[in-house]
Amino acid sequence: MVQIPVRVLVVDDEKDFVEMLSLRLEESGQKVSAAHDGAECLDKMKKERFDVVILDIRMPGMDGIEVLKQIKKIYPLVEVIMLTGHGTAETAVAGMKLGAFDYLLKPADFEDLMEKLEGARKRKEEQEERIRKAEAKLLVRRAGGMS
Amino acid sequence: MENGSIQVLLVDDEEGFRQAIARRLDRRGLAVRQAEGGEGALAILAESAVDVVVSDVRMPGMDGLELLDRIKQGYPEIEVILLTGHACADDGVAGIKSGAFDYLCKPIEIDHLTEKIRQARDKIQRREEKRREAEYRRRMEEQMIATERLASLGTLATGVAHEINNPLAIIKEAAGWMTLILNKPEMEGAPRRADLQNAAGKIEDAVERARRITHQLLGMVRKSEGADMTDVSLDALLAESIALIYKEALNRDIEITRWVDEAVRSIHTDPYQLRQVFINLITNAVHAVGKNGRVIVTAQPEGDRVAITVKDTGEGIPKEHLERIFEPFFSTKAPGKGTGLGLFVTRNIVEKLGGRISVESRVGQGAAFIIELPRKKTKT
Repeated sequence: MVQIPVRVLVVDDEKDFVEMLSLRLEESGQKVSAAHDGAECLDKMKKERFDVVILDIRMPGMDGIEVLKQIKKIYPLVEVIMLTGHGTAETAVAGMKLGAFDYLLKPADFEDLMEKLEGARKRKEEQEERIRKAEAKLLVRRAGGMS
Repeated sequence: MENGSIQVLLVDDEEGFRQAIARRLDRRGLAVRQAEGGEGALAILAESAVDVVVSDVRMPGMDGLELLDRIKQGYPEIEVILLTGHACADDGVAGIKSGAFDYLCKPIEIDHLTEKIRQARDKIQRREEKRREAEYRRRMEEQMIATERLASLGTLATGVAHEINNPLAIIKEAAGWMTLILNKPEMEGAPRRADLQNAAGKIEDAVERARRITHQLLGMVRKSEGADMTDVSLDALLAESIALIYKEALNRDIEITRWVDEAVRSIHTDPYQLRQVFINLITNAVHAVGKNGRVIVTAQPEGDRVAITVKDTGEGIPKEHLERIFEPFFSTKAPGKGTGLGLFVTRNIVEKLGGRISVESRVGQGAAFIIELPRKKTKT
């Protein structure tokens, strides 16, 4: 099976964690970038296209929820998976109401993460597919109107 | 002692005098025993409960003052009234110096003696009350200290758990990454590949173990945001909890029985959290029994509360463990077998549900954990 790499952005203020998770994701075939705070995350997203953002909730400065709101506002199609400590599971649920795809408790199970990553990528593709079809329909209708 | 008559021991070598006094005290509602000397008196004291000793001073063999000394040594609770000859006030004074309640000079005015005996009894009661009060205060203080210590330990433990999750996540990712590389086909034939794979696997297992601990600790913090209260069938909830442990119990030849009083069929509580409590307590009970025994779960009304008891026929818990059993990380299981958090978390949940948990146990006689919970919705 040929794997299509997911373009992932990992955002966490724990640098060692970001490094290790990135290495592992890359090793399993994904295309990974890293950011260590909210501002850097949004900056990277301006320059590069991503499918999924793995986002820590507890970060100094702009916290995960704030970053999530910004992402969903500017890039509504990009899927976000929240990473959270146990005590902030409620925040994670709030995050899902704001449009996050899912959340994981730290330390997360890698299999779980891969599954959710795949799920997030799929949802993004389906969403893009629907938009393409809708746009096509719109074009056809316009074309029809002209004739 | 407050109710019932005062137990008096009358000691005098003059039989006629002794009998007369005894009779008259008896008529005034006192329970009187008699001895004709010090040795006889001590023999009676060794066998029966006496409140007040009334003793002559001048007696052949052991005299009244020596008897007084022996009583003060062996039975400090007993009060002693001395009877002295009319010219022997010195004896009386010496007696009071060695701890007698009072002395009376012969000839004895019986009402006076009765009154003295009652006063001596009152003194004993006051002393007893004071002792009980001091004991009560001491226990309250101990309890408060224990509660505070548990609370601060809990705060510390959850704080630590939070901070430890981050490094745990790093260790886990690093070990996972190494495993990923080691498992790649290109690493086939790499030197000591199996050793490294084994070590990386061990690291991952250990992280998993640590993760279970931190998440269990944090589990109760997460729930602090409020319980999901609803009317629940206590019987069904217990049945469901038992069913989850039933198989393990069966393998160990342990019978789990439950009995729920009609009056507490339904209670208002958070079923998910209460089920966690039941599972923890019943699992503990099954582990305590080990093999071949019984676990009995009962629910009974207790005023407007319900008392749920989980009793086992296991080894019982030694006294020194009873005091620490609800502390976080206190466990007598082998390392890696128990986190030492089950009862700590259980207690936290029960208190959050407005209840109390206590334990009763003696070595060799099993243990009983009792949860008291509100039955109905509390007005807010």
